[in-house]
Amino acid sequence: MDTQAFIQERFSEFYKGNASGIETPKSIENREFGFTLFKEKMMVRHKGFINAEELRDFIKKNAPSNAYYSAAYYSVPEAKMDEKGWLGSDLFFDIDADHIPAKCNKIHDSWMCRKCGLRGRGSAPGKCPSCGNESFDERTWPCEICLEAARVETMNLLDILTSDLGFSFSDIRCSFSGHRGYHVQVESEEILKLDSIARKEIVDYVTGTGIDVLFHGLESIRRDGGKLIAGPGLHERGWRGRAARGTYEFLLAATPEDLMRLGLKKSIVDEIIANKDLMLESWVFGGPWNIVRGLGLKGWSKIVQRGVSLQSAKIDTVVTVDIHRLIRLPNTLHGKTGLLKVSFPPNEIEQFDPLKRSVAFRNGDVKIYVEEAPKFRLGDDSFGPFKKQTVTLPLSAALFLLCKDAARVVD
Amino acid sequence: MAKTLTLEDMAKYPFMPEAAEEVRKLGFRIDGLFEADYAPILERAERRVIEALTTSPPEVRYDPSLYKEDVEMLSFPVAVALVTSLANEYVKRRYALAEARRAYELLKRESEEKIVEIARKFGWRIRFSGEKAGLIKFDFALNFIDYLRNAASFHDKDWKLINKFVINGEVHLSKQEVARLLQEEIRRYIEGKIDPKIRSALPEKIFERADKIKQAYSSSFKELPTEDFSPSEATEEAFPPCIMELYRAAQSGRHVPHVGRFALTSFLINIGMSPDSIVGLFRRSSDFNERMTRYQIEHIAGERGSGTKYTPPKCDTLQTHGLCPGMDDICRGIKHPLTYYRRKMRAMKAKRVKESKG
Ligand code: SF4
Ligand SMILES: [Zn+2]
Ligand SMILES: [Zn+2]
Repeated sequence: MDTQAFIQERFSEFYKGNASGIETPKSIENREFGFTLFKEKMMVRHKGFINAEELRDFIKKNAPSNAYYSAAYYSVPEAKMDEKGWLGSDLFFDIDADHIPAKCNKIHDSWMCRKCGLRGRGSAPGKCPSCGNESFDERTWPCEICLEAARVETMNLLDILTSDLGFSFSDIRCSFSGHRGYHVQVESEEILKLDSIARKEIVDYVTGTGIDVLFHGLESIRRDGGKLIAGPGLHERGWRGRAARGTYEFLLAATPEDLMRLGLKKSIVDEIIANKDLMLESWVFGGPWNIVRGLGLKGWSKIVQRGVSLQSAKIDTVVTVDIHRLIRLPNTLHGKTGLLKVSFPPNEIEQFDPLKRSVAFRNGDVKIYVEEAPKFRLGDDSFGPFKKQTVTLPLSAALFLLCKDAARVVD
Repeated sequence: MAKTLTLEDMAKYPFMPEAAEEVRKLGFRIDGLFEADYAPILERAERRVIEALTTSPPEVRYDPSLYKEDVEMLSFPVAVALVTSLANEYVKRRYALAEARRAYELLKRESEEKIVEIARKFGWRIRFSGEKAGLIKFDFALNFIDYLRNAASFHDKDWKLINKFVINGEVHLSKQEVARLLQEEIRRYIEGKIDPKIRSALPEKIFERADKIKQAYSSSFKELPTEDFSPSEATEEAFPPCIMELYRAAQSGRHVPHVGRFALTSFLINIGMSPDSIVGLFRRSSDFNERMTRYQIEHIAGERGSGTKYTPPKCDTLQTHGLCPGMDDICRGIKHPLTYYRRKMRAMKAKRVKESKG
């Protein structure tokens, strides 16, 4: 049986039974919807629906491979882009493992040059080393380590949104994307009208971009004829405290190599390593700023800057600034995994198990031939690794590999 | 709770709604303006416009020993009428900026209470702060959305939200900073008052007086440049996001910070735009100074000073200055905005060739 047709049939069955569970955004009549269908490869955009029923019927009937809605509100969502009449847009953040440096992508991700067919591991290079072509087919994988990294970034983001920017959890919607990351959406009257320039400032705030740590408490002060360095404290609020906590976190784990990489002199690096325990303990009495002689404002700036990057949230910056962005609809299937995008309350982020909660198919087994797949978990069961073999798997696991284009159906 | 502004306040801040209300109460009508009694008001109104055109940086004076309070207050709407009748974008921007800068100078010296009172009239959610961070004590706390509305276009790094002390949705600020943000709000507000739609309602005599100003100060008048200096649409399409943003800002006369100006200018020179055209691009800016701008541009082009032609900063540097608006696909493969440009131009050419071959 044709694999594509098989996937489509499963999606279609799923929506027959579960379309009523599709979460609809508020003011549905002002949103634009977009879909990718199994038959046409093109995205169908500029769709509008007047209520949830109509939308669910459409999805039930068409069983799209992906379903999206606009973060924006329009007076005429069906119109062409410049005639829609933009009314405002939710504040939307996308945290995707693709934007977080992780070591495991070398293990589970791969690419293939579209021109000459050269294959490699990890993320695709800018240019094919063999033919110079610049486009690739990439296969990424929702692995647990990557998802864990994405969770940490999401938690950083939630902290900044609430403690600094003052949003409350009731304004925030959190979801697992169904693939490699999380979505965070702020739906508040306040932010609707923000333009891209203002959204860019928010992006820079959460990512720590353009920060000058000298505005956050790091300074050189004169005392008793000499110069002393002062810095922010661990319990301060805003980026001051965050910079301090990041600095602590960095020093705690720093190796001589990490410090050398910041461009510090060898002698200073040795001093830091030798005094590390003292530096870590020193936070209770004013901080580590004056422990290492010769480590001045410049050197400290580099260290604190590293600390900042540990506390920032690595979001996909383009998404937040784009006020016309389409977003996956919650409780619909992701075409690359057969998993659901699922929402959850932001205060449950720590316990949330994405690979359990997003499983959509619970019954039946399927026989498939797997080309290659690393070990993965869905729900409480682990599968693989597989290489060029025929296996019978529960529907959700089989569908996952089929959607990833790592397997085909065997009759 | 609404306190009322004193007559002195209204002389200082004649754009406030209360002042407009007061003007109405006094039964002041613009068509009565040309009676002898009103001569001082008309004269002061003309001075306001002339001061805006002839000072650099532009600023309308405030001198209570020279003008009586009611004259100061009543001359503002008349000056707005004069500027409106001139229907010149440049004069409009320059006038609004000159009035706003005057307000800034005055606000800096006001009490905290007065500043809060005025800011709230513009809908700001602002309160006294007293919050401390390290050795700094802040005067005010302003809702961060109200902050962004006014500061987002400033670009300088000390105005970036990330470099501010932000807690619970509020930005903590000094008095001077709040005054500066208010300047921005006031500038936009006055620009909004200079509405070409009301031109038809103005008496003929206003146009005559405005014309006299135009003749006497013609050298201070600038027509905002139009297309003659733009690179072709095709080349614009190849600008990286960072340059595009700066370019648009310059085009629309928004403030471009120093580093941004340098990046934009050196970029444009390196892709072959002439210094003349670049001067033209910056002409829209309300604090435009032709001599300085030309000097800087020629310096960057290597026609002055050391004679070295400068190249724009690397992506790295642009990112630290917060000038990188976020990377697109091409950005990911490059480290320099000029490389971006060359790559995209090549790709666009290749595509065009392909398309023309069918
Ligand atoms: S990555 Fe470089 S070229 Fe691209 S927008 Fe940022 S600074 Fe500009
Ligand atoms: Zn290749
Ligand atoms: Zn991984």
